[in-house]
Amino acid sequence: MPATEFQGSFGRSLLTLRRDQTDSNHHHHQPQNTMEAELDSFQRQVAEKFIDLNASAGDNNLLSLDWISKLLDSFLCCQEEFRAIIFNHRSQISAPPMDRILSDYFERSIKALDVCNAIRDGIEQIRQWQKLSDIVISALDSHRPVGEGQLRRAKKALIDLAIGMLDEKDHSSTTSLAHRNRSFGRAKDNHSHHRSFGHFRSLSWSVSRSWSASKQLQALANNLNTPKPNDVAASNGLAVPVYTMTSVLLFVMWVLVAAIPCQDRGLQVNFSVPRHYQWAVPVMSLHDKIVEESKRRDRKNCCGLLKEIDRIEKSSKVMNELVDSIQFPLSEEKESEVKQRVVELVEVHEGLKKGLDPFERKVREVFHRIVRSRTESLDSLC
Amino acid sequence: MEKPVDHATESSETIPHKSNDLENTNHPDESEHQSQNNNPTETATTPESESSQLSLPQVMEAVDDFIQSLSSSTDPLQEIPPAVEPFPETVDSLVSKMESSGLGRDESEDSAFIDAVNRISISVIRLRELNLDSTPVSSWLNRASSVQHRAVSLLDEEFRHLLDRSNKKKNGDEHNNHDESDNNNPPQEEKTFPDIPPESIPTLKKIAGAMISAGYETECCMSYETSRRHAFKEELSEIGFEGINVDDVQRIPWESLQGEIASWISIVRRCSSVLFPGELSLCRTVFPEQDHASLRKGLFTGLVSAVTIRFLDFSGAVVLTKRSSEKLFKFLDMYETLRELIPAVEESDSDLIQEIKLSQTRLGEAAVTIFGELENSIKTDIGRTPVPSGAVHPLTRYTMNYLKYACEYKDTLNQVFQHYEKAETDETEPEPERHQREDDEEYKTSAFARQMIRVMELLDANLEVKSGLYRDPSLRSIFLMNNGRYILQKIKGSIEIRDLMGQAWTRKRSTELRQYHKSYQRETWGKVLQCMNQEGLQVNGKISKTALKERFKIFNNMFDEIHKTQSTWIVNDEQMQSELRVSIAALVIPAYRSFFGRYKQHIDSGRHTDKYVKYQPEDIESVIDDLFDGNPASMGRKRT
Repeated sequence: MPATEFQGSFGRSLLTLRRDQTDSNHHHHQPQNTMEAELDSFQRQVAEKFIDLNASAGDNNLLSLDWISKLLDSFLCCQEEFRAIIFNHRSQISAPPMDRILSDYFERSIKALDVCNAIRDGIEQIRQWQKLSDIVISALDSHRPVGEGQLRRAKKALIDLAIGMLDEKDHSSTTSLAHRNRSFGRAKDNHSHHRSFGHFRSLSWSVSRSWSASKQLQALANNLNTPKPNDVAASNGLAVPVYTMTSVLLFVMWVLVAAIPCQDRGLQVNFSVPRHYQWAVPVMSLHDKIVEESKRRDRKNCCGLLKEIDRIEKSSKVMNELVDSIQFPLSEEKESEVKQRVVELVEVHEGLKKGLDPFERKVREVFHRIVRSRTESLDSLC
Repeated sequence: MEKPVDHATESSETIPHKSNDLENTNHPDESEHQSQNNNPTETATTPESESSQLSLPQVMEAVDDFIQSLSSSTDPLQEIPPAVEPFPETVDSLVSKMESSGLGRDESEDSAFIDAVNRISISVIRLRELNLDSTPVSSWLNRASSVQHRAVSLLDEEFRHLLDRSNKKKNGDEHNNHDESDNNNPPQEEKTFPDIPPESIPTLKKIAGAMISAGYETECCMSYETSRRHAFKEELSEIGFEGINVDDVQRIPWESLQGEIASWISIVRRCSSVLFPGELSLCRTVFPEQDHASLRKGLFTGLVSAVTIRFLDFSGAVVLTKRSSEKLFKFLDMYETLRELIPAVEESDSDLIQEIKLSQTRLGEAAVTIFGELENSIKTDIGRTPVPSGAVHPLTRYTMNYLKYACEYKDTLNQVFQHYEKAETDETEPEPERHQREDDEEYKTSAFARQMIRVMELLDANLEVKSGLYRDPSLRSIFLMNNGRYILQKIKGSIEIRDLMGQAWTRKRSTELRQYHKSYQRETWGKVLQCMNQEGLQVNGKISKTALKERFKIFNNMFDEIHKTQSTWIVNDEQMQSELRVSIAALVIPAYRSFFGRYKQHIDSGRHTDKYVKYQPEDIESVIDDLFDGNPASMGRKRT
């Protein structure tokens, strides 16, 4: 879960930060130029990251596990830079308007923590789907002849997978679906805990029952206005990186909620950045692309926009149809079709298998970083 | 199909008969429903269960031979041995029977069933490894695999059923007991966890083994996990642990949050001591095979991680709240609770342990900050109003009490400060020179002791400044004595602090106290003693009455003044108060007695003696007893 591999570069304490600063080249001793250059460099860095993300958001890469991981990496980088800026000018942050501006940022960042935790449950759900895919793959192992038992086993797993991937809103209908498909096994329904993820979903418990991802996002975005010129002047420009960081934070959380299944997903958030910010264009472009994707996919009631989810859905649907169409004895044609579909499923499955654990660690790292930045500021106030 | 039932139960106990078992007479035609059988004597036998001519154990034996032959034979398999041929259908019947009766009722029945399932699984697995071009074999394989799936699915359901039913059953009983028992008894004391009835365990074990052998490891693990997570969730909500949002925690006032923290502590402790070890034990019992070590680890890790991360979410949320001194000890309690959790999750992935340590670090950092607040509050206590009567200053009380309480967490605070010091000094920097004290071992090794001493030094410096607010040097000394004594007593009164601060430090303080005492005596009583000096009283060999009268007068004035002033002063420590008085008495009374005895007669002119000789030697003592009472002295009344 935690990214111990990050501790080295990102887990520096403030003292090492201080020491590095004096060693570093591009901190000159003229205060005015330094600050302006510093703030500018931050804006540029954020812009570069998002231009890069936009560029790599080619057709099938947007909202893939890989791409989102990259987004999280970008967040961590920006956050580190932001932290350095705040540290460098810590003499200003306890005075108005920065005290108010910064405390507002921290409040929002704390809301992001609950999103990270809710996402964890979504990742857990995806893991369950993976296990079901595992069953399908091992049942229809392409190296061995497929018997009726194996087929039934695959079918059972596919049904559970289909149920599990239904959007939360349809949960009420899933229980009946599950019962109907339990043609074998005991008729004593009061004991049958079907492996459907309605049941498993009720075990997701990282956030309270009443928590809502969409409400949380709205709270995060609430009153997020571009900094007033007065504030910018009074804070020597520091209000701008705070606004930038807040926007990045909001965007990242929004993407996570869009991609990963979570409680009461909703993407209706007012998110717009004035174009004069260097990073505004690439961020808004990504935003628009994702909104489009959500309109397209949500028509089918998908539970998360993650590309891999789409792939699982598609390939398992195809597999399901194929399995339904099989009659024994298996024709050679059918057999080779099964083999092919299994290979496809394995492909989708492997990618997810490799990527999910590191992804979860990364989300956890984001969580830790936000906490750390908050506690650092608390500790420095004393 | 009725007969297979009897057949199966009989077979486990008796050596089955073949065709001459007349007890199970039945319609011969039904024998055709049985699997294909080449045996022509089939029609002569009665029950269709025996149409195969073989009992279940015999069939199973035949299957064993068959499986053996598969591995040894090089020729491609062309047909299924007749004894083995009906096996799938036999198992199928068994499945139907077990479906209605369920597992976990009769151990031998369960064993027989599972043995059968194991055999069919192995057959299927082995056959699938072969290249089959024979239709009868393929067809048998198909039937067998179909039945295998049905059987293993049943096992899966039974597995979950046994895991779940147990909890519900216990809860049912528990509720009944609840109504009758005293409401003050916490129910969890009587419950064990996991509360699966012991009689279910062997069945669970067998089922797990069978499912894994059948290649259904994933299903088995999923069922186990789902059931256990459910059990945990119920257990946790029963003991009052609810999901809590980080955001919401920020808004809870400290008074209420303390209650949540106390609750959290008791729940985490319960996990450390009961729930997690219980879970590990169950895992090991249900999946005991050596080969399944990584499976066990995976299951255990999954379960304890899911629960622990919620605990860490809460502690993470708490640590985000504003720092304030009252929170220190609760944070330390949480730190210690997490420390106790680590051994309980040792058998899981190291990631989890890292997470716990990270949460501890956050708590530790907060503790360091809060403790540092103490230093700040001392530094900023710069009031210009001296404490009346030179008494112990509230800052002294506050600081010493805080430190005393903190020392109860000595080891934890030491851990916390060590970690903090390590983090602050990069490994690349050389070890900074520390101001070491010679004979204080603990000081050398204890990071917390260093912190304590810093605080003490700050306090001392502050008190020094405060003492300067008193114009009267005697009062200054009294003030320093009062505070010094308070500090010393607090330290002596606690073994932890005493050991922490070290002998030399304590000795030094005692020495200082003595010095203040001496200062006081000198400042207050020096001149008094001086006026009782013999020198200057004699003029030309004779006692000067004038001088003597002057002396007595001076003495009286001084003494009265001291009486008036210093009665209002306070010495808080009773023992020190008495010591002071005794030392003053020891100083003044003999001197006065001797002075009085020697010179009184010289002014004993009968008239106005009391103008000059106000005090009898006995009176001195009672005046001294008035000193440092904090009360204005009743003046003008002489006791005789």
